[in-house]
Amino acid sequence: MLTDILSGEKGRFPADAHTELRGQLNRQRRVVLLSGNVVGNARSDTSGVSARVFRNGLYGFSSMAEYTQEAARKVLDAASENAAFMAGHVQRPHQVLPAVERGCYMPQTGIHDPAQSLYLDYARALDAYVTEHCPGLISRTIVATEDSMEKLLVTSDGMDAHTILPRSYCYVILTAETPSGVPVELFKAVGGEGTFDQNFRDPAAHYPVIDELYEQLMRKREGVYADAGVRTVILGGMMTGMLSHEAVGHTVEADLVLGGSVAGHCLGRRVASDKVTLTDFANTAFGSRCPLPVFVDDEGTPAVDVPLIENGILTGYMNSRESAEHFGMTPGGNARAWMFSDEPLIRMRNTAVHPGTDTLEDMIASIDDGYYLIDSGNGQADTTGEFMFGVTMGYEIRHGKLGRALLDTTISGVAFDMLKTVDMVSDTVTWSSSGFCGKKQPMPVGMGGPALRCKVMIGGR
Amino acid sequence: MERLKNIAGLVLAEARRLGADFAQCTVSEEVKHEFNVDGGRFSLMRTLFDRHVGITVLKAQRKGSVAVNRFDEEAVRAAVADCMAVCESSAPDEAWQFAEGPAHASVRDGAPECDTEQLFARTEELLRDIGSRHPKILVEQMITDHTAEKTVFMNSQDVCYETCGGSYHFSVMYSAHEGEKGSSFFFGDVTLDRLDRPVIDCAFMERDLQSVEKQIDTMPLEGKFVGTAVLAPDALSGTVLSTILGSFVSDGSLMDGSSIWKDRLGSRVASEALTLSMTPRAEYVVGGAHYTSEGYPAEDFDVIRDGVLENFALSQYGANKTGGRRAGNDAWNLTVRPGTESLEKIISGIEQGILVMRFSGGEPAPNGEFSGVAKNSFRIEHGQIREALAETMISGCVPDMLEHIRGISSDVLYDGSNALPYIAFDGVTISGK
Repeated sequence: MLTDILSGEKGRFPADAHTELRGQLNRQRRVVLLSGNVVGNARSDTSGVSARVFRNGLYGFSSMAEYTQEAARKVLDAASENAAFMAGHVQRPHQVLPAVERGCYMPQTGIHDPAQSLYLDYARALDAYVTEHCPGLISRTIVATEDSMEKLLVTSDGMDAHTILPRSYCYVILTAETPSGVPVELFKAVGGEGTFDQNFRDPAAHYPVIDELYEQLMRKREGVYADAGVRTVILGGMMTGMLSHEAVGHTVEADLVLGGSVAGHCLGRRVASDKVTLTDFANTAFGSRCPLPVFVDDEGTPAVDVPLIENGILTGYMNSRESAEHFGMTPGGNARAWMFSDEPLIRMRNTAVHPGTDTLEDMIASIDDGYYLIDSGNGQADTTGEFMFGVTMGYEIRHGKLGRALLDTTISGVAFDMLKTVDMVSDTVTWSSSGFCGKKQPMPVGMGGPALRCKVMIGGR
Repeated sequence: MERLKNIAGLVLAEARRLGADFAQCTVSEEVKHEFNVDGGRFSLMRTLFDRHVGITVLKAQRKGSVAVNRFDEEAVRAAVADCMAVCESSAPDEAWQFAEGPAHASVRDGAPECDTEQLFARTEELLRDIGSRHPKILVEQMITDHTAEKTVFMNSQDVCYETCGGSYHFSVMYSAHEGEKGSSFFFGDVTLDRLDRPVIDCAFMERDLQSVEKQIDTMPLEGKFVGTAVLAPDALSGTVLSTILGSFVSDGSLMDGSSIWKDRLGSRVASEALTLSMTPRAEYVVGGAHYTSEGYPAEDFDVIRDGVLENFALSQYGANKTGGRRAGNDAWNLTVRPGTESLEKIISGIEQGILVMRFSGGEPAPNGEFSGVAKNSFRIEHGQIREALAETMISGCVPDMLEHIRGISSDVLYDGSNALPYIAFDGVTISGK
């Protein structure tokens, strides 16, 4: 745990400026078993301190890989000098950041550091299960991993906070061959918020996940190519989460709005059918703790939910304090930094479409000729809202019933067009949180949603 | 540099004291000066003082790795002890092998000192040049920096490399706008060792800005056809080259047997026009690696020469695992030998196809099949570049495409990391709505 050596430095904060001083420790633990070989077995601990000073509409920032009072003073001086350099070179009218609640947020729990052997033993147990119960594979990979961020933040005019966010996962990646000898692959991540020993106590608890993954892979190896074109599909909750994050979420980050995203022209306009409501949740969603809860951001802003789309109408952007001032909005705690050496950027937290009232069974039964797309390996989107997601697992729907599995394919479209075709929304939300969002810095994020019936372009062979 | 060498020496001595058979460490110190532009306006100046200690140990062929960013003796000793614990928890693997000396080198290259005023001036100039020459372009984000780094790499088998270097890097993300209409975003990147000319004149910066300005009005492609896809360097790297290096010739794909080229060494895998090399030591690479992560001197090598698969990109570990040969380097600096015809000449011979500047797609399947959206792209018809396209997908199979190379351009993108031309591939499926 970081001890507080920063609060005492508040007296050194420059006058007439907004200042943040942040100490941070990032831990990463990782074990990789490739077909039984330990090809990765590594730990890293990265700590340090950074300061950011806002003056005359411009930021100066500095960081040092050392968590000491001396380092804190050096980065405060360097950040002030950088702000002064910018003020001397760039003419900008005086700007004041919007006021936020002041106070102090302290962690509810501590954090501990499981031994590396725990990761390895757990990975070996899953690998042994795969070896024994999943015949016919050409390759198997098990990854056991944990990353955590612990931050101690003091600010000139916001919340002071001590925040801790650990998360841990096991990835199971299985590869088989089609009858014609073409490799096909599927993967599944299990885990979530918490240290590795909290999330992974009994390997047997995850055997059913492996069984299901293997069964899907065996169906996929006999799978068919999707018929390319604009089709009626059901996006599973994982796919909806990807859509929420990549295709909509990024376009409504205020810095990307200022950079020309399509959402800059859409505030108050219809961008989806009235069945679609989308929120970037801070720490609690639909009555439960979010996958990766955020309580205070790295500018000292208390984190609150940010409504983005309400019944199909675009209602808001995610903001930093600076962008909130520009747009006349209220900052909701979206400014987050990955490492001690990173400045806060506008990031999503837990972005999800709200559930509807349809059942998945009714949705499948409603489609005569289409697809049920369950899992995505990756996704990318443009500031125009045009998106592309890889689809790693899906099925045909024929006459209201699931048919053959699909080989890898992609879907694409323009988010604010495609969302207008949503006409059924399932009653169950699925979350994922194992990945990193990439935007200058990586950032752990949660994303989720219900199943959606919509029209989308699907790629074939 | 002496301080870094002392820390490296401490790591090796402590590992030996704790019973390691082998130890390797990288100790580095870095200073970065950075300017950020957001939404077309300066937003931030950043100065980072960073450091890194990476430790790898072997004991009874069990391997452990640890990384920390503290230099104090107590933290370094603790990191070595932690690394030993990781190592002892691991499984023995006879394939681990690292460079043996004597091998000593001390290198100074690039621009180790930052000229902050000049970096700001070139940044401001680039912003101004884009604004005056391309008024429809909005700079979404520009990040310019100088990074100075001193590194000591040392292992317990008498290998020691000292490097002192630095480079400037300019990264621009932008799109074109007119009223409520806007293009897709595009990136420009260049790494430089001196600031002796306007950045807009470097790499393909000016050429790409002109292209993106023509992408405000786009048309969806109607239907589907099989034609020629001309992949610009960025799209080429994101499809064909990443598939070759990631799925066909890498440690992972060869060790797990999923590479479809695992038995093709020495045989034809591409048109004889193609030569693909990994070239960290090429003169046009700024700050290229001098040694591999296992401590061997970095040497350029050909993956494919005149269409023949010459080498896998194997580490020593991967080579030991597969019975193969260690590659000359493990750095991602790619060179494709240019052709003799200009891009314009190649396009003039294409009946029906697409020019793709950027590809947004999923991970290619292990067999090389891929599909995704052709971003920042134009339709080609009867030898002419036509309208910019929206919502257009391309799909293909990399091994088939390599056999059907129509042309490789003499125009080459030198961005300080890679040297890549445009390549035209026949037989690519291009589909619209």
